[in-house]
Amino acid sequence: MLRSLPDHTLQPNVIRTGRKLVVAGAVVAATIGYMAYVGASSSWQYYMTADECLANAAQAAGHRVRVSGTIAADSLQIDGDPRQASFLLCGTAANLPVICTGPLPDDLAGSMEVVVEGQLESAPCLLRGDKILTRCASKYESRRVPAAETDTSPARE
Amino acid sequence: MTTLGQLCLLIALVGSGYAAFACIAGWRGGYGAVLKGGLVAAWAALGGLSGAAAILAGALLVKDFRFDYVARYSDALLPAQYSLSAFWVGQAGSLLLWAWFVAVVAIAYRFTAGQRAGGIGNLAFGVLMAYACFLVAIMVFAADPMQPSLPHRTTGDGLSPLLQHPAMLVHPPVVFLGYALWGVPFALAVACLVSGRFEPTWLRQARVWALLAWVVLGGGILWGAEWAYEELGWGGYWNWDPVENGSLMPWLTGTALIHGLLSWQHSGGLKKTTLGLAIATFALCNLAAFLTRSGIFSSLHAFSQSPIGWMFLALILLLAIGGPALLLARRGRLAAEHPVAGIWSREALVRLGVLALVLLTVVTLAGTLIVPLASILRGPRIVLGAGFYNCALIPTGLVLLGAMAATPLCRWRTSPTAAGKRWLAAAAGAGGAAAATAFLLGLRHPVALAVAGLAASAAVATAAAWILDARPLRPYPRVPARGCLSLRERGVLRPLVVLRLHRRQYAALGIHLGFVALAIGVTGSSLGARSHDATMRQGDVVRWAGYSIRCLGVQEHDLPDRSILDARLEVSEGTAAPYQVAPARSWHRPLDLWTTRVAIHSRWDGDFYAILRGEVEPGKADLTFQQNPMMRWLWASGWIAAAGAAIGLWPRIPAGSGDPRRTRVSGTLRVPPGYPPAGDGTPTMQAWCPVPDTLIAHQIPTRSPDHG
Repeated sequence: MLRSLPDHTLQPNVIRTGRKLVVAGAVVAATIGYMAYVGASSSWQYYMTADECLANAAQAAGHRVRVSGTIAADSLQIDGDPRQASFLLCGTAANLPVICTGPLPDDLAGSMEVVVEGQLESAPCLLRGDKILTRCASKYESRRVPAAETDTSPARE
Repeated sequence: MTTLGQLCLLIALVGSGYAAFACIAGWRGGYGAVLKGGLVAAWAALGGLSGAAAILAGALLVKDFRFDYVARYSDALLPAQYSLSAFWVGQAGSLLLWAWFVAVVAIAYRFTAGQRAGGIGNLAFGVLMAYACFLVAIMVFAADPMQPSLPHRTTGDGLSPLLQHPAMLVHPPVVFLGYALWGVPFALAVACLVSGRFEPTWLRQARVWALLAWVVLGGGILWGAEWAYEELGWGGYWNWDPVENGSLMPWLTGTALIHGLLSWQHSGGLKKTTLGLAIATFALCNLAAFLTRSGIFSSLHAFSQSPIGWMFLALILLLAIGGPALLLARRGRLAAEHPVAGIWSREALVRLGVLALVLLTVVTLAGTLIVPLASILRGPRIVLGAGFYNCALIPTGLVLLGAMAATPLCRWRTSPTAAGKRWLAAAAGAGGAAAATAFLLGLRHPVALAVAGLAASAAVATAAAWILDARPLRPYPRVPARGCLSLRERGVLRPLVVLRLHRRQYAALGIHLGFVALAIGVTGSSLGARSHDATMRQGDVVRWAGYSIRCLGVQEHDLPDRSILDARLEVSEGTAAPYQVAPARSWHRPLDLWTTRVAIHSRWDGDFYAILRGEVEPGKADLTFQQNPMMRWLWASGWIAAAGAAIGLWPRIPAGSGDPRRTRVSGTLRVPPGYPPAGDGTPTMQAWCPVPDTLIAHQIPTRSPDHG
């Protein structure tokens, strides 16, 4: 095995340098790995749909969660305080009520796909969000317009 | 016109397919006619794609709603410039743009570097055309931008007002151009691995194209960040969203690739890593497409579910299997030529930097893919927040800054000179002094102090490298001093001469300084941001964070298509002259949509950022003020890096090319023992022959053998 190595790899100073490099690399790798672990343990959240959130409310209650879903049509309310919104996230059997406090995106509207981050309360099931993000407008695929609508107002998601 | 457009795409499909086949089949050089046919086919493919792009752009400009794509992304009221940006808003249009860029890059490569690369150039060109064929095939079979609208539409859905922003004209096409450019180093790496020929030509060519791709993709990412910074609701300039990560990861591995190429060129090491990074960078570009187009991520930037994401996944799997297999097959030819000279040699620092960049990429990839991986493993679905990425970014950034602080004074394949070691100590001292000064000025966060110190060290080390290079020269002993050095080479102009002679090295150090500015901007804006909410009427004054903010009025204006509410504010900071800002909100009546226009006053120490949330009651505005330190450094970093890359990429002009009396000659000159002084390393020699006078030579001490 050693015979297949180039001659220079067997010189003592080369071995010493190699060891130093391995140690330095290991320190760098260990530090980045450890910091990533620390970051992961402090920032992980359950990632759920509205249905999963309703089904696992007891388990996820008190944890920080990130819930994706569609705002139920006509459920969005932004009264008085422009930094607070309440709405329902659509589920198949029931809807998840959300009260979101904080900066609201400009394009927040009913029937829109959003991601809400916050704390889940179990009884009654309520998501208290502190961050709401809408889907990037540059990636919307607008809904195919049925034939009956083609000459009327445009349809948007 | 839709039929003509589809015909153009078919021509592009057949042309790119034949070009790929011909160039790959005939790369060994024995099939000149086949190669020539492939080149003609490549031109046909580029013509077809250009025709399709022109048809779609024209349809968007004239609002031809017979095109389904036009009907979905524009309407009759859309301004012309944003009609053009609608080209790349949708999935099919962005694919057309990407494919066109790949074809243009392939042809550009073939007629510049590819001609000089011989068989490898043909093979690389064939790989690029194969990739263009893949993208065109996706359009033809799954995402047709020329699809007619059935039944006929008389109006369009319009473009979201959030996208009617100047950045939309720049950010997406620049990112796609960056992805297309990364194809060249990949194609060259594949060509080398397939052919088994690892000639210096590929290193030079790959380095140039990789640097171009790096600066273009980095610029695209930075433009996107600036856009997000000015738009509310996107989580600031960086949100660690899967698709943002998708564009960042190839940039990180691409950065490592450029350094790997340098290490291969100067020290004969990191060969397998470099080739692997070229393949990984290209694969990660396609991963970004998969992230947006597969529908498996609930990313804010993701397109809706679509089958074409899985086509990109198939390509990624092919690269993930084929790349390592090729590397394994050629491992015998990829052994390091020289050992690492020492822990303070440049190749050692490059290795540490490459390791840190690759690890950060792995961490980012793991964080991005954790949701689908958890689904596959049937565990609880979790997602990692920004804290995960930020924690990994801190040690990576510090390692990179540390390496950058030492690099200017270290050399390839040898240890620093005695003078270099003294300057290294001085740079470390300057870093300590900067950190102490920052502490005395009130900075307390350890990361901020470390960044301040390392940034100062990097700046001092760069200046020190220049000073060392610009030292007065001692003439070669046996040549009369008068004939040895010209006045400008001995005199006050020598620092400038050194910059010209070592242009690429100083361009690279300039790019490093751009990274230092980026680190300052990211650290300052992340650790020092503050915000304050207030409601204000005309005449009200708010004092916060050293600002005195007076409300001059809250007004509403009506325009034909929108109503605008704005608040005019006068801001004073200490004794500086006051300035006015006017945050506003617009209600777009046809779309029933609000948009916010933030007001930003930028200085080198930070931004004053004002947001109008709305009107609490008539004449009383609800406002949020933010102080975002060092943001201007963040944006400036892109321009510094771009300037450095432009200088580095500028074609080399042969010395004396404009002077018929001077001719550059090259060769080995024997230097007597003891000259230059021990520790200064091997000098690079340049000689000019004033014809027909006697040879005049001069010596330029350099720490890098690549500047001869």
